[in-house]
Amino acid sequence: MVSSQEVEILSFLLGDQSMAFDVDSVEMVIERTEIRPVPKAKFFVEGVINLRGRVIPVVNLGKVLGINVEDGELKSIIVVKTKDVEVGFLVNRVWGVMRISESQVDHLSVSDKFGKKFKGLIKRDGNLTVYLNIEEIIEEITAKEGA
Amino acid sequence: MMEEYLGVFIDETKEYLQQLNDTLLKIEEDPDNLELVNDAFRVLHTLKGMAGTMGFNRMAKLCHIMENVLDRARNGTLKISSDIMDRIFKGVDLISKALEKIVGEGSDEIEEDVDLFVDALKELTNAPQVRNEEKIGEVKSKGNEGVEETVERIVLPDEVANVLKRAKAEGYKTYYMKVILKEGTQLKSARIYLVLHRIEELKGEVVKTNPSIEEIEEEKFENEVEMFVIIREDKGRLSEVLTSIADIDRVIIRDVEPVHEEKVAKIVEKPEIEKMKEEEKREKKKISSQTVRVDIEKLDTLMDLMGELVIARSRIVEVLKKYNIKEVDEGLTQLSRITLDLQNVVMKIRMVPIAFVFNRFPRMVRDLSKQLNKEINFVMKGEETELDRTFVEEIGEPILHLLRNAIDHGIESKEERIAKGKPPVGTVVLSARHEGNNVVIEVEDDGRGIDKEKVLRKAFEKGLVSEARAATLSDQEILNFLFVPGFSTREDVSEVSGRGVGLDVVKNVVESLNGSVSIESEKNRGTKVTIRLPLTLAIIQALLVKVSGFVYAIPIANVDTTLRVTKGEIQRVQDRKVIVIRGEVIPIRELWEILQVPHEATPETMEVVIVRVGNRKFGIVVDELLGQDDIVIKSLGKVFSDVREFSGAAILGDGSIALIVNVSGIV
Repeated sequence: MVSSQEVEILSFLLGDQSMAFDVDSVEMVIERTEIRPVPKAKFFVEGVINLRGRVIPVVNLGKVLGINVEDGELKSIIVVKTKDVEVGFLVNRVWGVMRISESQVDHLSVSDKFGKKFKGLIKRDGNLTVYLNIEEIIEEITAKEGA
Repeated sequence: MMEEYLGVFIDETKEYLQQLNDTLLKIEEDPDNLELVNDAFRVLHTLKGMAGTMGFNRMAKLCHIMENVLDRARNGTLKISSDIMDRIFKGVDLISKALEKIVGEGSDEIEEDVDLFVDALKELTNAPQVRNEEKIGEVKSKGNEGVEETVERIVLPDEVANVLKRAKAEGYKTYYMKVILKEGTQLKSARIYLVLHRIEELKGEVVKTNPSIEEIEEEKFENEVEMFVIIREDKGRLSEVLTSIADIDRVIIRDVEPVHEEKVAKIVEKPEIEKMKEEEKREKKKISSQTVRVDIEKLDTLMDLMGELVIARSRIVEVLKKYNIKEVDEGLTQLSRITLDLQNVVMKIRMVPIAFVFNRFPRMVRDLSKQLNKEINFVMKGEETELDRTFVEEIGEPILHLLRNAIDHGIESKEERIAKGKPPVGTVVLSARHEGNNVVIEVEDDGRGIDKEKVLRKAFEKGLVSEARAATLSDQEILNFLFVPGFSTREDVSEVSGRGVGLDVVKNVVESLNGSVSIESEKNRGTKVTIRLPLTLAIIQALLVKVSGFVYAIPIANVDTTLRVTKGEIQRVQDRKVIVIRGEVIPIRELWEILQVPHEATPETMEVVIVRVGNRKFGIVVDELLGQDDIVIKSLGKVFSDVREFSGAAILGDGSIALIVNVSGIV
């Protein structure tokens, strides 16, 4: 049971920063497989993968957030599914699902860099994790005009 | 208990409305044909019953008043005028609206004032000799006087005889009833339930039914139900009430004289409705065809599975190719053939006649030509042509658009036509046919045609073409400007060109369905717009090609030919690369350049795929031709909504992904 003050998040490493977003929309985490590039797509789209017979777009989360990450270090794909979009996000590695209480989230800090994609900072065992707004990220990557 | 029947009710009502529209259009052409009036009357009567059954009283009321009008028409007490037809059509529209409302909100409460409409029609029917109010269900109940009464003896079960006898003593009438449903009736138990309900409303009581109530509830019966009824009403009234229920073919009511002692009852038969009638049977044949209603979701699942099967087969074939095992060849060939057959069958299941799209147009053409005061001879051909049901919902609007253009802007006024020496009545032909793996839909008119000079001038004004280039354009190229987004608007080009309102919209829809659209026009001779659609959306045949190490699929429907070209054969015309094949100049481009993917220098000889878009040809240079295959189209999804170059992706036998080239998006 998750009490009203607690949320479950999936935390992962992107570049050298720990990040996380709500676990609700996460469908699965897979190892990076061969990505088929799609020409003329938006700059942050790496291509598509064959996920058990389905064709899923793969997005470079680093590029969406404006963080430079060595491509060779991106070894995991987090597959996120909302009601009309299914998309995989490339990250370095996934730590796992964690339960945090609202009191651990600092909603006051704002990020110039991430804008609305930023939900807050999670302080945990002396480490800082960037808490991302996954809905907003999906909103941005599916917007017609592109980012 | 009515909830579960709502779906069937909606489907049936739609069919009946369509039938009604068709019949009314025929009546309009041939108002003295009482047979047709009768047909329309019967449809309305059935609709009324169905609406009543479901408790949609507004709808039932509408049907009822229109039924009265038609009844007077068939009795010869009312002459069908164009005004009356307009009103009846208006009524049909109101019923359709009510149905839409039922679909959306489960209620037939429409904004339009039903009572106002009903009152207006009442005035028509309220002329002396007929009292309309009493006419519900009156159709079948006349002429039963003077019919010879036959007496029959049937054995009554003890308990029934007792009850009947007691009732008789208290002054009730006792009847034996046989309710016969029309063949193919969908809501059988609901109809019988309604019969029982109506009897109750008349303060009657059903003593026994055969089959039993339980069996009726479980729909364990054919088309007949027998029952014994005690009631105060007389036979005529009972029959009247019961036959107004939809799908009741007839009701046989006989007096029962319970003769307890001998366990025998005397029955007096009045075959009053027996004559109800050969015609009715014929009508039945017209409506019911051998079909099964299937949930669309199930069909889609079947199609998906079919897709998976095709992929799995390709994968097996791929693997086995490496080992070259003779023994499996035969089995594999068989598997391939079965898969192909299965695929064809599944595709056919998804196919519906284009009549589903077409059938609403005669009515719309009628209304529009009336409104614009033009006489139109509207011809439809090939309504039986089948196409994927996915298209049915999508393609209606574009065709409607084209028909509107043809009538509004294409066909001239009567005076103008006479002045030109044309027949005063304009002709608009809507046709459909199969052509190879395509469905071809054409909208053709014999109107004023498109003024190409004006189109060209406008293209020039809009900066779409330079003056120098304008002189070299072919007629076809000029007409293609009409498809440029925003080129034509109602205010300007529609007036000057005679056609061209929102053609870009038509093009968009058609292309989103992997189809193409082209236009031909000749001044004063008319205009023809041709829409080509693939037979199905889900599985297509494609030519697989390789560029920079990745596989792309080009739909076979777009492919004209393939050929090998050397560098020397490529010429340049105004900065554009072209090749000349049998005197035809065809522009070509490298696919890697179109897609802006890295590629080595153009090789000495190259593979060129000639594709067709509308009536234009175009060459696409690729690295390698891999061959032809069935592919299952998967959507690329919202993330790629801005990528026009691809219409989807497909998973190949080896698990890799091919991008499907949207040919009209790259030329």
